[in-house]
Amino acid sequence: MAETNKDVLICRCQEVTLAMIEEAIAEGAFSVDGIKKRTRAGMGLCQGKSCERLVEKIIAEKTGQAPADILPATSRPPVRPIKMGTIEGERNA
Amino acid sequence: MPKKDADVIVIGGGIIGTSIAYQLSKRGKKALIIEREDLCTGTSGSCDAYITPHTKKPGFHLGLCLESMKLYKELEEELGDDLEYWQKGGFQPCEDELSFQLVSENAKDLMAGGLEVKMMNIDEFRSYEPNMSPNLVGALHCPSACQINPFKVVMSYARNLKKLGSQIMTNTEVTDLLWEDGKVVGVQTDKGEFYADYVVNATGCWGAQIARMAGLEAPIEPRRGQIIVTEPTSTVIKTTMQSGMYLVIKFHPEKITDERTKRLGSGFCIEQTGDGTILIGFTREFMGYDKSTTLEGIEYIISEGCKYLPGLRDMHVIRTFSGFRPFVADGLPLIGPVDGIPGFIMAAGHEGDGVALSPITGKLVAEMIVEGQPSYNIDAFSPNRFVKQA
Ligand SMILES: Cc1cc2nc3c(=O)[nH]c(=O)nc-3n(C[C@H](O)[C@H](O)[C@H](O)COP(=O)(O)OP(=O)(O)OC[C@H]3O[C@@H](n4cnc5c(N)ncnc54)[C@H](O)[C@@H]3O)c2cc1C
Ligand code: FES
Repeated sequence: MAETNKDVLICRCQEVTLAMIEEAIAEGAFSVDGIKKRTRAGMGLCQGKSCERLVEKIIAEKTGQAPADILPATSRPPVRPIKMGTIEGERNA
Repeated sequence: MPKKDADVIVIGGGIIGTSIAYQLSKRGKKALIIEREDLCTGTSGSCDAYITPHTKKPGFHLGLCLESMKLYKELEEELGDDLEYWQKGGFQPCEDELSFQLVSENAKDLMAGGLEVKMMNIDEFRSYEPNMSPNLVGALHCPSACQINPFKVVMSYARNLKKLGSQIMTNTEVTDLLWEDGKVVGVQTDKGEFYADYVVNATGCWGAQIARMAGLEAPIEPRRGQIIVTEPTSTVIKTTMQSGMYLVIKFHPEKITDERTKRLGSGFCIEQTGDGTILIGFTREFMGYDKSTTLEGIEYIISEGCKYLPGLRDMHVIRTFSGFRPFVADGLPLIGPVDGIPGFIMAAGHEGDGVALSPITGKLVAEMIVEGQPSYNIDAFSPNRFVKQA
């Protein structure tokens, strides 16, 4: 990825660029969650579905870890955005 | 003792440990933070970020919170980073007469303690926050309440302390303490031994494990809090809010009759962050170190939330998370040296106030180490209250 434009957006939802992710790694991030905490990449509406793989790849390149060893982001329910009225309705039904 | 690796070893890279290490560095000491995972992966990475003096017990606790708020204001400039310090004011909405009455009584004590607060009836409250339910009774208003971004705070402390010559080791777990002539002189880790004049235990809800290595039984337990996060939306609420029931639960648990509230210890609180997402919380449960979120907990938070802010019904939840408050049986953190354990200093157990109290904790612990005495009397926090008399 050496010649890539550093301003390219890696996480579109949160507008996080390649440069910002590289900076987070330079500061000590070594996992997807570590990048998330420092840059907000992966915290957008799609919850990392579009950017997590790319982030993993960048960490692997920059830190020399094997992609399989990189800690994935912790994900918690819901899997898809869900309307609160629906959950509340079920409870009170 | 073999060669010193630092003046002070701080175990734990959360908002307490990084604050202490930064304040030490500022005073010319070399600190070494040893963190098992990454910075901000413990409770400081999964919490709300309110600094709400009106939810502190009038007196000592309130005084410390006010001191800490002053420090936060100075810190942004001192650290040279945007910490998203945002003084937006806070409300404590009350859903029934009982909570309104308790909150009103507490308001008098808060004012006597020097805090500006005001009780408002529902119409006045809704003139500030029109989206709140008209079925509520009223609310307490505290104009000085604010919020901060804990990630930014931790990362900024980290950057600054490294500039001052201190160090951080992540991915390194402390497995034991090292002793010489009855004094703690360092730590054993999975990456080797490290030596210093002092070892500070800033491991939050894991604080009891490290304390035990020193021979101290510290009653710190993880108390889980679940939180839900919505999609970003336009401004729905302008202030931070924690329901008056929170006060009933905190100070008058015997008055709670609802079974679910008893079990989940919930109390509605809500904030909208700069990017428009809304955080709604939270539960207070003892579940060991089980970090999952539960359907019951989420349902409960949502039904509480919709009661206060009916517009939530049309919004979407995109994420849920939970964190562990470092709970201490008597409600006070353990800060300071321990009788009979020279070289060892506790700084853990901030329960639901760690973000608010981070700057003042860092300052006072650094003063204890560098000057021998803190500038603010915190004898009430002394871990010696748990030292068994022989
Ligand atoms: C749901 C929720 C909401 C909250 N809301 C607020 C709020 O609005 N305002 C407020 O002020 N506070 C709030 N809090 C409380 C606040 O988050 C905590 O008090 C604070 O984060 C504690 O910080 P800490 O640095 O002591 O602990 P942590 O952030 O947990 O840091 C301790 C660190 O020690 C490390 N560690 C543990 N064991 C070892 C070992 N053996 N070796 C090396 N490292 C180790 C851990 O990995 C961890 O990173 C909330 C908490 C929760 C759970
Ligand atoms: S692209 Fe990163 S969260 Fe959606």
